[in-house]
Amino acid sequence: MKFLTTNFLKCSVKACDTSNDNFPLQYDGSKCQLVQDESIEFNPEFLLNIIERVDWNAVLSVASDLGNTALPPSKPVFPATADQLSEEDMTILRDLHTLLIQTSISEGEMKCRNCGHVYYIKNSIPNLLLPPHLA
Amino acid sequence: MLATPYIKCDYDKVYEPAEDSFLLLDSLEKEQQFLNERFHSHLSVVCELGPGSGIITTFMLQHGIPSKNKSIYFALDINPWALEATHATAKLNACQDKFLDTVQSDLTSSLRNKEIDVLVFNPPYVPADNVPMVPSFKDDIDEWVDLALLGGADGMVVTNKVLKNLDIILSPNGVAYILFCARNKPEEVVKGMKEKHGWKAELVEHRKAGWEVLSVYKFYR
Ligand SMILES: C[S@@+](CC[C@H](N)C(=O)[O-])C[C@H]1O[C@@H](n2cnc3c(N)ncnc32)[C@H](O)[C@@H]1O
Ligand SMILES: [Zn+2]
Ligand SMILES: [Zn+2]
Repeated sequence: MKFLTTNFLKCSVKACDTSNDNFPLQYDGSKCQLVQDESIEFNPEFLLNIIERVDWNAVLSVASDLGNTALPPSKPVFPATADQLSEEDMTILRDLHTLLIQTSISEGEMKCRNCGHVYYIKNSIPNLLLPPHLA
Repeated sequence: MLATPYIKCDYDKVYEPAEDSFLLLDSLEKEQQFLNERFHSHLSVVCELGPGSGIITTFMLQHGIPSKNKSIYFALDINPWALEATHATAKLNACQDKFLDTVQSDLTSSLRNKEIDVLVFNPPYVPADNVPMVPSFKDDIDEWVDLALLGGADGMVVTNKVLKNLDIILSPNGVAYILFCARNKPEEVVKGMKEKHGWKAELVEHRKAGWEVLSVYKFYR
């Protein structure tokens, strides 16, 4: 599962919806195996659209779970269109492409910071299904 | 006519594409312009519930629905085999260069609320005594496939869960495309969504398939 997907996954437990701790999930850095997948090409415009949309605090939280603390503390700001991007902007966008889109968690686990339920990622597919007693 | 994805799956494990799947493809083709106009200026988050073989998600990946280079796709199925099949189908159709992730999930319970811009669902819509229990093991293959069709009372038990929560599932600009069969009494369902819950709802496509009449409705605000 791609890093960017962590920006959309929350705890499946219905009762956790009323808490602010059901998102992002907390990834266990010691158990998460990261792989780089280069099949999606760098496209600055796509990245701009993604960055506009992401919850930056959640990006920071998951990156730090996975051992990356080098990100800027607030969401980087870019010109509105791709043709106005400076070399420096491009460098930042490339790095974010590498992190958000090319970095995948192939095996791992994460838990809800509210209820503590643990979810697993196997073969790059996260399993957010709850056992019957929680569903 | 947009090309249909090439599919090669083990249909003991996942739902084999049928008239319902194709009616949704035709509906999305018909809606391509509406969706493109609605979502061309920002990123759109697409979620297919119950992708099965992955035919519908792959069709959207292939043809850039809702908008090329501006969409990310999540395919959520309860059946673990469907998630592998969906990745395989996307790959078979040379779509590895698009953003797709699959998640094992009961409906949208695992996704943040109000983030989905385009929701597509060909649900288990066949009336049955019950919605089958979720199998305990991945190898209970037959039981996983039963979940593809059997929709409990009026075939609406699973679909109703989505409709009831549509307000917190969809983004403010979001649109949902949902397939019904005549025994789901779609006209009544749609009337309720409009009158009681204030949704806009329109018939996109309908077709006779054997002794079934299938229809696709879209819901938006
Ligand atoms: C009629 S099949 C549609 C398959 C495929 N989209 C197509 O059109 O060919 C319904 C799909 O919904 C999935 N499904 C059933 N209940 C579900 C649930 N509660 N959450 C997620 N997926 C579910 C089934 O596993 C199956 O893949
Ligand atoms: Zn929780
Ligand atoms: Zn007619």
